[in-house]
Amino acid sequence: MPSVAPSPAGVRAALAGCRVFLTGATGFLGEAVLERLLVDLPATRVVLLVRGKDGFAAAQRVEQLLAKPAFTTLRERIGPDGAPELLRERIDVLDGDLTHWPALPGDLDVVVHCAGEVSFDPAIDDGFATNALGVERLLHAVASSGSRPHVVHVSTAYVNGMVKGSVAEGRLPHQVDWRVEADAATRRRRAVEDASRGAAQLASFLGQAREDHAREGPQVVSSAAERGRRAWVEEQLVAAGRERAQSLGFTDCYTFTKAMGERVVEELAGDLPVTVVRPSIIESALEKPYPGWIEGYKMADPIILAYGRGVLPDFPGVPDGVVDIVPVDLVVSAILTAAAHPPEPGGRRYLHLCTGARNPLTLAALHGSVREHFRRHPLQVRDRGTIAVQAWTFPGSAHLERRLRAGERLVDVADSVLGALPRSDRVRSAALALDRSRAQLEFLRRYLDLFGVYAAAEVVYLDDGVAELEALLPDDERDLFGFDPRRIDWQHYLSEVHIPSITGLIRTITASPRGPRDRVDPDLSLEADSEHHSSVAPRDQDRIVAVFDMDGTLLPSNVVESYLRLRLAGLALPDRAREIGLAARQFPGWVLTERKDRGTFLREIYRQYAGASLEELDALVDDEVGPDMLARLSPAALRQVRRHRAAGHRTVLITGAILALTRPLAPLFDDVAAAELEVDREGRATGRLSCPPPVGEARPAWLRHYAALHDLDLTASYAYADSASDLPLLRAVGRPVAVNPDVTTLRAARAARWPVKEWRTSGRPLSRAT
Amino acid sequence: MSRPGFVLEVDERTPPLLVHEGERLRLETFPLGTRVVYPPESLPGLPDVDAAIRQALLNPLGTDPLPELLFRGMRLTIAFDDISLPLPQMQLPDVRQRIVEAVLTMAAEAGVDDVKLVAANALHRRMTPAELRRCLGERVFRSFFPDSLTNHDAEDGQNLLHLGTTDRGEDVEINRRAAESDLLVYVNINLVAMDGGHKSVPIGLASYKSLKHHHNTHTMLHSKSYMDPPRSALHGSAARMGALVADTVKVFHIETTLNNDAFPSPYRFLTKREWEWSGKEQATMLAVKRGLDLAPAKVRHRIFRSMEAPYGVTSVQAGATDQVHERTLAAVHRQQLVEVDGQSDVLVVGVPYVGPYNVNSVLNPILAMCLGMGYFFNMYRGRPLVRPGGAMILYHPVPWQFSQLHHPSYLDFFEEVLAESTDPATIEKKFEQQYATDPWYIHLYRTSYAYHGVHPFYMWYWGAHAMDHLDDVIWVGADPRTVGRMGFRSASTMQDALQMASGSVGRSPSITYLHSPPFALADVR
Repeated sequence: MPSVAPSPAGVRAALAGCRVFLTGATGFLGEAVLERLLVDLPATRVVLLVRGKDGFAAAQRVEQLLAKPAFTTLRERIGPDGAPELLRERIDVLDGDLTHWPALPGDLDVVVHCAGEVSFDPAIDDGFATNALGVERLLHAVASSGSRPHVVHVSTAYVNGMVKGSVAEGRLPHQVDWRVEADAATRRRRAVEDASRGAAQLASFLGQAREDHAREGPQVVSSAAERGRRAWVEEQLVAAGRERAQSLGFTDCYTFTKAMGERVVEELAGDLPVTVVRPSIIESALEKPYPGWIEGYKMADPIILAYGRGVLPDFPGVPDGVVDIVPVDLVVSAILTAAAHPPEPGGRRYLHLCTGARNPLTLAALHGSVREHFRRHPLQVRDRGTIAVQAWTFPGSAHLERRLRAGERLVDVADSVLGALPRSDRVRSAALALDRSRAQLEFLRRYLDLFGVYAAAEVVYLDDGVAELEALLPDDERDLFGFDPRRIDWQHYLSEVHIPSITGLIRTITASPRGPRDRVDPDLSLEADSEHHSSVAPRDQDRIVAVFDMDGTLLPSNVVESYLRLRLAGLALPDRAREIGLAARQFPGWVLTERKDRGTFLREIYRQYAGASLEELDALVDDEVGPDMLARLSPAALRQVRRHRAAGHRTVLITGAILALTRPLAPLFDDVAAAELEVDREGRATGRLSCPPPVGEARPAWLRHYAALHDLDLTASYAYADSASDLPLLRAVGRPVAVNPDVTTLRAARAARWPVKEWRTSGRPLSRAT
Repeated sequence: MSRPGFVLEVDERTPPLLVHEGERLRLETFPLGTRVVYPPESLPGLPDVDAAIRQALLNPLGTDPLPELLFRGMRLTIAFDDISLPLPQMQLPDVRQRIVEAVLTMAAEAGVDDVKLVAANALHRRMTPAELRRCLGERVFRSFFPDSLTNHDAEDGQNLLHLGTTDRGEDVEINRRAAESDLLVYVNINLVAMDGGHKSVPIGLASYKSLKHHHNTHTMLHSKSYMDPPRSALHGSAARMGALVADTVKVFHIETTLNNDAFPSPYRFLTKREWEWSGKEQATMLAVKRGLDLAPAKVRHRIFRSMEAPYGVTSVQAGATDQVHERTLAAVHRQQLVEVDGQSDVLVVGVPYVGPYNVNSVLNPILAMCLGMGYFFNMYRGRPLVRPGGAMILYHPVPWQFSQLHHPSYLDFFEEVLAESTDPATIEKKFEQQYATDPWYIHLYRTSYAYHGVHPFYMWYWGAHAMDHLDDVIWVGADPRTVGRMGFRSASTMQDALQMASGSVGRSPSITYLHSPPFALADVR
């Protein structure tokens, strides 16, 4: 280490020949630090802690990192093929993370610790594992390496907790014992896991899963119950984190655990020099690597975008409250300058990397700039033109809370009404509109709950230490490493740099014309599809199967209707009236049963066939029911089946209706899976089935067996179905299509981005007279 | 004495005239000077049809009396025109039932017991049992259905027989049972001049292999018109095939003609000239029109579907095909022929609710085109009613509506073929084979009640002559999407249509309105 005490030497000179260890290089701030190290400090060597991920080794991930937009300047300097050489000469990559530490080199001069949990509401044990215990492990690793580095620990300004007024840089005043809290957090996980396995809890998960998924079959129900349990555990731990944080005066689990992390570094760094940097809300770059550089959306961005999209009508918080935003390159400059000027051994230095003290941005000013930007450059919505933005009135959080809660109640009521309606185009479009409203409300709830606290903070983080540090910079480095917040012209930064940068992505998406998928409507073009799945070679087409559900998909009917038609066809008029009366009485019962369990429902139907001769049934279908079915067949569906055949695919019809009813369609399919009636010795139906019907989860099981038998590739195969009980079937193939879906299926389809099709019948149904 | 057909010239005193448009009626005010072609008034029907039938069978033309052709142990096949005739269906008893019963009586007297009945439906859909029962009567139906009363199956290779090729290389392949019979009796209803004669056996009982020789664009462009057999390449081909059939099998042809009584009693005035409607009839017209306008589509459909024409039979003749058909044509001409002096710039027709291929079904867009631009356009002798390069204005809503049961290949033809081309020759070359041999269409044709896969192509070729002849085709009151798909334009009123056509026919074109139904055959001088 060339210098121990602060001196007016330049950053480059001070760090030349040094070895800097950087954690969190794949995160937003870490990436920015790495970029500056590589570009502006050519004589400094870097050691990175990166974890191998998704099958890529740590070094490969660093190569991918260097290919990102932030490193454009670097790539221009070293040439397109210079990365391997750079990696060899200046960068050492250690494979590991905050919980799995490799051995560290013994000659580290500086440690910049950027890694951490950045979610605001992590589960309490996760928050501690990374933000506090991760620091503990880091310091142990440093100690055992023999290095004596200057530790630059990245924290946050919000570790100061829920305070008002001015806050000076310095050690946090709280008396919380981090070891006790960390231990409690770790134990909490075990306790919650145990509680989640209690009989009453499990029954409640199972009950909820049954309510949501009963029609999809028992396996779906059990896996939903287990998902529900895990989600509950996470929810409990997140709540535990939030509540513990707030009980100790912190805004959330993030700031709580970061505050604990500071204690760890203070305690365990011993006589190493330590700088704790506390940035506020880090946003896009002012100048470096280029103006507007940002990765992903940061804290304020979803709110800005929501406002631009016209979905954020108002905002909690006070108009003259200070929103403390700091561009990422200012933070990086300060970190590097601090790294170059360590405190004395054993010294502890705290730096508030904030703008609120010397160049405050008020919420009203922020809103003004944002509003001005969207007025001049409104967002476009396809088919609807530009979006007008509203002025915020800052009505106070209580008022907003009331509005939000009213909206949430309304959505819940509408949802329960929709679930009870029979399916139709109008119900489907209402369900979609409702889902949009719900998503919007959930977004508002989440962001207002979380960020309202930050926006409403009436606190100023004093940064005298930062000003002193900057004074150490020699004149020729002030442009390169300066970090005076007064350099920021907020109006310019917001409307010319930051907002254009975060809206850039969304603008390219919404302004682009409709994709080709929309144009091939109303049918699915298999050709276009196979482009998407170019992995399927033409010769493999015969390994593809297209499975079609019958009732509701190919035909606009259900098994009840099929049964009725079949019966009515064979009956004379007076009998027909009686039959309709009988069916009408049973119908509500059937509908109820169908909602609960399709298998039971179907068994009710099959029982009605008792006593019928199979031969007579076949003849009845051929002569009377067949023409009616063909007349009601959806032409688009038919064309799709034929298209699959023309493409060389195997086609399969799968239905819970009895086999006889598939006769008119059978020639279209290579195989038919239907319910088979059990017959007695005289060839008459007993009203029972000879084997379980292919419904619900029996379908994917059947299909997997069928695929194995015929060497079919289900990942390249298609399934077409309409109702919730078909979801297991749809999930069993690589290319599911929801046809005339009910609300549950529609939602599942949208969530999984499956195509949704409306297949209708054409022409008039036949009158019986012909 | 019925009055002959005549041509009215619209003047100030002419009331609004009746125009059929699908399942609705319209009263349209035509521009002054419009020529309106009215068919002759309905001729009186024969007072005793059964006697006339017996008379014809016992005194046939160019052959021995029927009883002398029948003998014990012979194979007798009776073929008859299918559901496509007459239009609309006639009130019971159907004349086919009367004839078949007479023939069967004579056969029974001669001790013939190998008798088969076959509907000559060619590539049309099979007739349902109910339709067969209605056509031939309960007695015949019960005695012969299902084993000895069947539909012809043009895709049943086992039951087709290739009789050879004509001197022009045309394959003649017909129903095997008919070809191998000792006597084939054909029972016809001759509604328009196109029907009957050699069109009956070599076409009605043929296979696709045989039909494709004349059911194609080239033949239709050389049939001017196909309602005028001597000038129709279609009929020329049929006659060559008929001659070849006659070499193999003895055919006894029975043909009948009908008068113009196309509408049952409350609607009978629809066949009368508008200015002769009584006060009661005018009121009925207004009520019917208003009722139809207000009624839901289903109800309208049911009202029209339930109509049965009280047709009178105007002639029955039997014997050798050519001699019989000559008399038949004369009878048809007596009922339908109207002399018209010269062509006009614009031809106007109202397309009614039923054509030969949508009995008990939906008149889909292709069938509407075929009825208007195939049938009505071709209702001429000599020259078309409209000059080359003229315009045709048709009335029909042309909804995007198809029967999946009866016309499955039509729907695909409409959505896939017409989306690519509307030119008959291009379509024929590029798509016909594929549709004609599609196994699913063939399956439906054979086992369900579907027209053959290739049938929509034939309907399209039926319009080829008109498409070739005309510069402008405009549909009044039609769905722009459907007529647009077929390559035509739509207008909301007659005035708009004339305005749109002014590019090809000028601002004050001469107009002819063909007042049909009932059918009128224009003899254009």
